[in-house]
Amino acid sequence: MKPEKRLIPATSTLWREIKRHRAIYLLLLIPMVYFIVFKYIPIWNGQIAFKKFMPRQGVVGSPWIGFANFSEFFNSFYFWELLRNTLMYSVGKLLISVPLSIILAINLYECRLPFLRKTVQTLTYLPHFLSWVIMYGILLVLLAPGDGLINDIIKFFGGRGIDFLTNVRTFPWVVLFSDAWKEMGWGAIIFIAALMGVDPTLFEAAMVEGANSWQRVRYITMPSIQPVIILVVLLRLGKILSVGFNQMYMLYSPSVYSVGDIIDTWVFRGLQEGKFALATAVGLFKGVMGLVLVIISNRMAKRISGSSLY
Amino acid sequence: MKKRLFTVLVVLLLTAALAAPVFAQSAADSGKASGPIDIELWYGAAMTEAGPPPSDWVGYSVIKDKLNINLKLTALPSSEADQDVKISAASAGDNLPDLFMVRREVWLRLVEQGLVAPVDDMYAKMPTRTSVQYDEDSRAFTTIDGVSYGLASPGSIQKNEGVLIRKDWLDKLGLSVPKTTEEFMAVMKAFTFNDPDGNGKNDTYGYGAFLELNNYEEGLGRRLDPWFGAFGVPGTWNLTKADFGLNVRKPAYFDALSFVKSMVDAGVIDPNWLSYKKDDFRAAWKQGRFGIMREQNAAYAATSNYAPFDKNFPDGGFVVADPPMGPNGDAAVGVYTRAFRIYALRDTISAEKKDAIARLLEWMSSDEGYFLIGWGVEGVNYTLKDGIPVADGVPDPEYAFTGPKGQPVTQLRNLVFYNGKVELSSRYPTYVTATSGKTMSALDVLRDFQSRSWVPTIGADTLPPPGTDLKRFYEQSVAEFITGRRVLNRANWSSWVAEFDKLGGKAWEDAGREVAVKNGLLR
Repeated sequence: MKPEKRLIPATSTLWREIKRHRAIYLLLLIPMVYFIVFKYIPIWNGQIAFKKFMPRQGVVGSPWIGFANFSEFFNSFYFWELLRNTLMYSVGKLLISVPLSIILAINLYECRLPFLRKTVQTLTYLPHFLSWVIMYGILLVLLAPGDGLINDIIKFFGGRGIDFLTNVRTFPWVVLFSDAWKEMGWGAIIFIAALMGVDPTLFEAAMVEGANSWQRVRYITMPSIQPVIILVVLLRLGKILSVGFNQMYMLYSPSVYSVGDIIDTWVFRGLQEGKFALATAVGLFKGVMGLVLVIISNRMAKRISGSSLY
Repeated sequence: MKKRLFTVLVVLLLTAALAAPVFAQSAADSGKASGPIDIELWYGAAMTEAGPPPSDWVGYSVIKDKLNINLKLTALPSSEADQDVKISAASAGDNLPDLFMVRREVWLRLVEQGLVAPVDDMYAKMPTRTSVQYDEDSRAFTTIDGVSYGLASPGSIQKNEGVLIRKDWLDKLGLSVPKTTEEFMAVMKAFTFNDPDGNGKNDTYGYGAFLELNNYEEGLGRRLDPWFGAFGVPGTWNLTKADFGLNVRKPAYFDALSFVKSMVDAGVIDPNWLSYKKDDFRAAWKQGRFGIMREQNAAYAATSNYAPFDKNFPDGGFVVADPPMGPNGDAAVGVYTRAFRIYALRDTISAEKKDAIARLLEWMSSDEGYFLIGWGVEGVNYTLKDGIPVADGVPDPEYAFTGPKGQPVTQLRNLVFYNGKVELSSRYPTYVTATSGKTMSALDVLRDFQSRSWVPTIGADTLPPPGTDLKRFYEQSVAEFITGRRVLNRANWSSWVAEFDKLGGKAWEDAGREVAVKNGLLR
């Protein structure tokens, strides 16, 4: 290392380095500004989680109240239910959406008909770009107890209509599968990208050896994209307490509050009452929980599979 | 190298941190400028489906030339929840505009936090406007401890909703307009099971509704309030001296809830009602899904709103019915209060700007401002017929105040309207429907609605709202009793009321009583 260091001319400065690699630094600048403005500066305002925030007195001038905001959240009548619902949807989405995305990605990768592949790809990406307001309209057409398409089919075969959107038994499944439907195609992109990076000679060799499609998936595809799967799961664990406010806000109603109210919707109703410090405290709690989970699961992933985020 | 990179990063972070307050700071008060005074106004759009006034709107130049004001407009979101969040976020960031519309619950909090300016001195500077907009009730609505912190203009028209029933269905089934809850139930069953539209399908229901809640119409909301009115417990509060309190804590509430539950159990209420949003509900009655509902006069009878129903059912039609009468002779479409729209000023506003706002509002209530803001430019957006602005006779109907290009120039009309005769006659003209040729008038419907039985709860919207958890407990439980998740019987109901009290229900009622007594709201 030392001889190399001597090779660098004494006049070589940081600015020269930057100038030489200006294109890369320029690319770095945009995300850096984004992270500084939207991620790091707000950390300063995070102190209101420990304050009785008074807008007129500002972030610094508001009085400290210790953990009172956290206590209000933890002592909420619905705290455990909110936590249970949030974790239920978070884990549920992880267990349903991620495998479906992987299956879709593998199927698209294996598909040998370009037209079919492109059509399916487009159709599965499309719902991602629809807002939950539109999605709710579609779900109502499909699931409404009175005249929804699914209920019409159930009734046609002699069954009784099901109030999918307002029944506590069916509502969680509507949430999980509507999310999977909306995000499956988009979520598959990263796995398709990973599949593109797999050495094609491995597949060719396997075929020469007589491996069938399932065996190729099992012994080549899955091990090849395993690091990406771990990466995706770890990243999602970091946001385990954020399960899609927009979706839940559109879909839930008082009759399914018991299974539809999540931390974010509870916080939103608090925000309507101007409880910004409480919302910040909850945000901080979610962030810390996410961080802890990422660290633990990263270590576990490293120990079990040898692959990890960092 | 690494050290330098670290130094650069630290400098970048510090620079950004120092610059942050600049971004977070509210716009500097430019009241001292020598040119036109900038006034930033966040308004509630009169028509949420239409855009804001265009940049070349004549109002901007008139206001600048005559009042020396450079008006900057921002439309608030259409949903009240989103409005609250926008105003709350602006207040948290100390970024409230000069003048803004705000709901009373949020406004109360802003007053507590000292973020809105007193406006008592402004009334005298706006004699015309004060005489038509700010009466005693209006000032009381925004007065706390003897100081007025907002300008409250008349809001939506009182008692503008009513019970409507499909007359063609009644005729086809040989039924008359029902009066009592039992008669209503019989009609609803007939509408549900006797194929009132004669299409041979089992696709109609007796009653249609959706959950539309606010702080004075809690529980199942206003669309089902006629049923609670039949049992003497409409709305959130009973504001009589003899029986003050939260209706949900009264025994009759159980009877009302049981009746609604019997409607659900009998299958006479559109099963989609808990899933419907407002637009879904309105699309449903226009598609002939149900025969009885509580609806607003304009949403029912205004030209564009009635047109789809008229097209679908040229031989169909609704009639206004009295609300159902309960076993004790009680009947009410629902509760009404005096609705106001509060416009508040941020507390840091300069005296010069405050004067400019008074000037602006006073001009808005002058003849020139009233017609320009309310209907646009005469000869372009409207013509006058017997002193009433009408859309007929304008050169390009697209630019008529009712047309797609004319609507945006009247977006501020709620700032000048006060539900006077001219407005109502203009807003709700009598017209002939396109398909069936029926003569319709949303104004006649309104007068009919207003003549029906209502329960006054003036000031109920000024009583304290429940806390977040209590509100959820209230709404969720009532919905669960209705859907059968909780068994509705007297024992369970009594237990629930006890739990409700334990969670703060009684304390909420006591807080409401204190405010009601203090403000003389009990009758």
